[in-house]
Amino acid sequence: MSACFHCGEAVPANSDYTLEFENNTERLCCPGCLAVAHTIIECGLAGYYQHRTGPASRTSLVPDELKQLQHYDLAEIQQDFVSVKGTQREVLLSIDGLSCAACAWLIERHLGQIPGVASIQVNSTTERARLRWVEDKARLSQLLAAFADIGYQARPFQPHQQEQAYNREVKSYLLRLGVAGIASMQVMMAGMALYDDLFPDLEVELLVTFRWISLLLCIPVMLYSALPFYRNAWRGLKNRALNMDLPVSLAMVFAFIASVYATLTNSGVVYYECVSLFAFLLLAGRFLEMRAKRRALEITSNLTHMVPMLARLETPDGEQEVAASTLQAGQLVQVIPGAAIPADGVILSGRTSIDESMLTGEHMPIPRQTGDTVFAGTTNIESPLRIRVLRPLSRSRVAEILRAQDEALADKPRVALLADRLSRYFVAALLLVALLTYLGWLWFDADNAFWIMLAVLVATCPCALSLATPTALTVASARLTQAGVLVRRGHVLDTLPNINHIVFDKTGTLTQGKVALESVEILGQLAEARALALAAALEAQSEHPIARAFRPYRDASLLVEKRENRVGKGVQGEFEGRGLYLGSGPWLGAEEAAGDGLSIYLADDQGLLARFNLADPLRPDAQALIAHCRRQGIKTSILTGDGSGQADRIAAELGVDRLIKSASPDDKLAYLRQQDESGDVCLMVGDGINDAPVLAGAHVSFAMAGGTDIAKNSADAMLLGDDLQRILLARRIAGRCRLIIKQNFSWALGYNLVVLPLAALGHVSPWLAMLGMSASSLIVMTNSLRLSRL
Amino acid sequence: MNVWFLIIPVILVFVVIALAIFFWSVKNDQFEDLDRQGSNILFDDDAEAHRRAQPADKHSKPQP
Repeated sequence: MSACFHCGEAVPANSDYTLEFENNTERLCCPGCLAVAHTIIECGLAGYYQHRTGPASRTSLVPDELKQLQHYDLAEIQQDFVSVKGTQREVLLSIDGLSCAACAWLIERHLGQIPGVASIQVNSTTERARLRWVEDKARLSQLLAAFADIGYQARPFQPHQQEQAYNREVKSYLLRLGVAGIASMQVMMAGMALYDDLFPDLEVELLVTFRWISLLLCIPVMLYSALPFYRNAWRGLKNRALNMDLPVSLAMVFAFIASVYATLTNSGVVYYECVSLFAFLLLAGRFLEMRAKRRALEITSNLTHMVPMLARLETPDGEQEVAASTLQAGQLVQVIPGAAIPADGVILSGRTSIDESMLTGEHMPIPRQTGDTVFAGTTNIESPLRIRVLRPLSRSRVAEILRAQDEALADKPRVALLADRLSRYFVAALLLVALLTYLGWLWFDADNAFWIMLAVLVATCPCALSLATPTALTVASARLTQAGVLVRRGHVLDTLPNINHIVFDKTGTLTQGKVALESVEILGQLAEARALALAAALEAQSEHPIARAFRPYRDASLLVEKRENRVGKGVQGEFEGRGLYLGSGPWLGAEEAAGDGLSIYLADDQGLLARFNLADPLRPDAQALIAHCRRQGIKTSILTGDGSGQADRIAAELGVDRLIKSASPDDKLAYLRQQDESGDVCLMVGDGINDAPVLAGAHVSFAMAGGTDIAKNSADAMLLGDDLQRILLARRIAGRCRLIIKQNFSWALGYNLVVLPLAALGHVSPWLAMLGMSASSLIVMTNSLRLSRL
Repeated sequence: MNVWFLIIPVILVFVVIALAIFFWSVKNDQFEDLDRQGSNILFDDDAEAHRRAQPADKHSKPQP
């Protein structure tokens, strides 16, 4: 078996998609990849295949999704995410499948040649593109389709409000860091000459010049680079809290003023190089921390797509497409099969099944008919509906769940951060010692008292201490992102090692959240493969979740005619002139089989042919995860909205400690609160909108990457792949991170304890203080970097 | 030793130039996508096939 030329996945045995490229015949896995590779090579963009560093993602051609792109052309929808600049329009897109620099190049070339595109810039780090086009010459839907032509999915998304602020802050830190860096290098150079115990015989005139040069170069560092420290220290003082920035600021300001005084009066010692290097090292830490935060925010925003929700409103002059948010109670709306229901409402006419997984987490569609209530955001699967709107979108069930989520987030239990507690005592002790030193020397040798106190402040400046936590946290988050766990909130790494109870949602979290074939029982003369192929042919055009279970068995040479959906029963059609049926047992006259699974039957005019047992399969690693938890003494529970026997079966199979069935979103939150009161620290893992309030309210929460946007937004961290074992990996990394932080603290404190008496006795010269501080900071940084090799 | 008094101002001028270039590059988003620029030079924008495809593509583009 060979690998697909485009996406690198295995090529199925019986497929025959090939392509001539540079005199080789390359094999491809599916028509989607073939079409994309063809487009790329035809357009002369084959350089992509030569220079890419990773395989492309597998492309599936989904005509339905392409059709829906047209919604993005409506002015009403566009006003949310398109900005108009003269005759041009601009949109920010997130791009799925962007894996390396070659992808960015490919997209820019391909889109750039389309008439009407004014400019396109792709950023491969953020996986985003900024597209500008002329509305008269091209439509947005066309341009989005052009992304699909070369195998990428581009979608408008909702940038987080904080993103702009973070962007500005990262940039300003970078500028401050640059100024501090360039100035430090020069000041260090001049500073070396001033270490009079190293170079005792320089001319006095030259020394004075070097002092003045250092002063000059240090001014921008003090007035520009170090500003954030003063601000933080002042903010801390106003809130009556001692933070690390206070001694840092004090040391810098005192040292600078004293050095200026020494320069002016040509006496004492100068500390310019210490001051600029403080600023540089500390800013480096802050900059990296800020960048990691921005990255987490960007990935989350990229996943929050702006999907236009439209409604077909019935008006006196016929049907009209409007945005769902404008609907009012009492209006009449049509919903076509495959579309999302735009508002909470009552079915006036029509009979269909509805996928309510968005609200309940259960993926099996539920039959609904005239008089039943349907909810905004759920999907109509089979046949057209006419509904009367009950309430506007802002008061719908989904909006209510969102409000519950906000409330839960507001009173989330918090674990005090280790660093905060430690630094408070440290800062107080440090300031006290500096003061005592000053008073002591004042009584003993008043002339030198100030200089010695200054040496104490500079030598013990908690540079390494303030780097201890942020560097470890930054490296650990980067390592986690690389392992497929995206940390969205800062407290995750601090809390994870403490958890002793993991609570799982069932559907979509422990299970795969889709219907799959479990077993086949042959009831007639047909061979198993033939029965499966016939069932697949019958379900070929259906979007029903059951139909998807048969897709892998599709044989393109079998064609079923006169297909017809029977809502709540199944499908029927004609094959080689005979009737063929696939559906529920009662409809086809079969005895209901024992057991709690879901079964459907295949029959022809003569009678039953086969029974298919369907189930929502467990994720392959769920078993191993629960076993690991048990070994490590972590309690496990399943919290599910499902009330059926399937929940019991899964709980027994996995061996979890507790199972709570038929739980509403409120019940789930109540259960979690109860665990909190009994002293457990809980980790919640979920994926649906119904999980959002508990995800927001748990000590720590993880959302699955395949989950709903709302769940991802309320969780503290996200699993980027489907591998559940990463939860334990994350816990291990968090544990290591805590260890590293403790080591960093011990080192930084130890160094300070050794140097403090020396400085207090007046034995630390500027170059010694300088060397000690830099070495100590570098050791802390290097120690933190060890986390990346875990 | 007098050469110092010549060299030092020259150094200062260089520092100012370096800072100016650094500020300019940050303000122009030069540091926003560091993954990409390293490999940009590998791509051949003037591939014969690409140039041939350009006009052809513009004509064959389906009209809305």
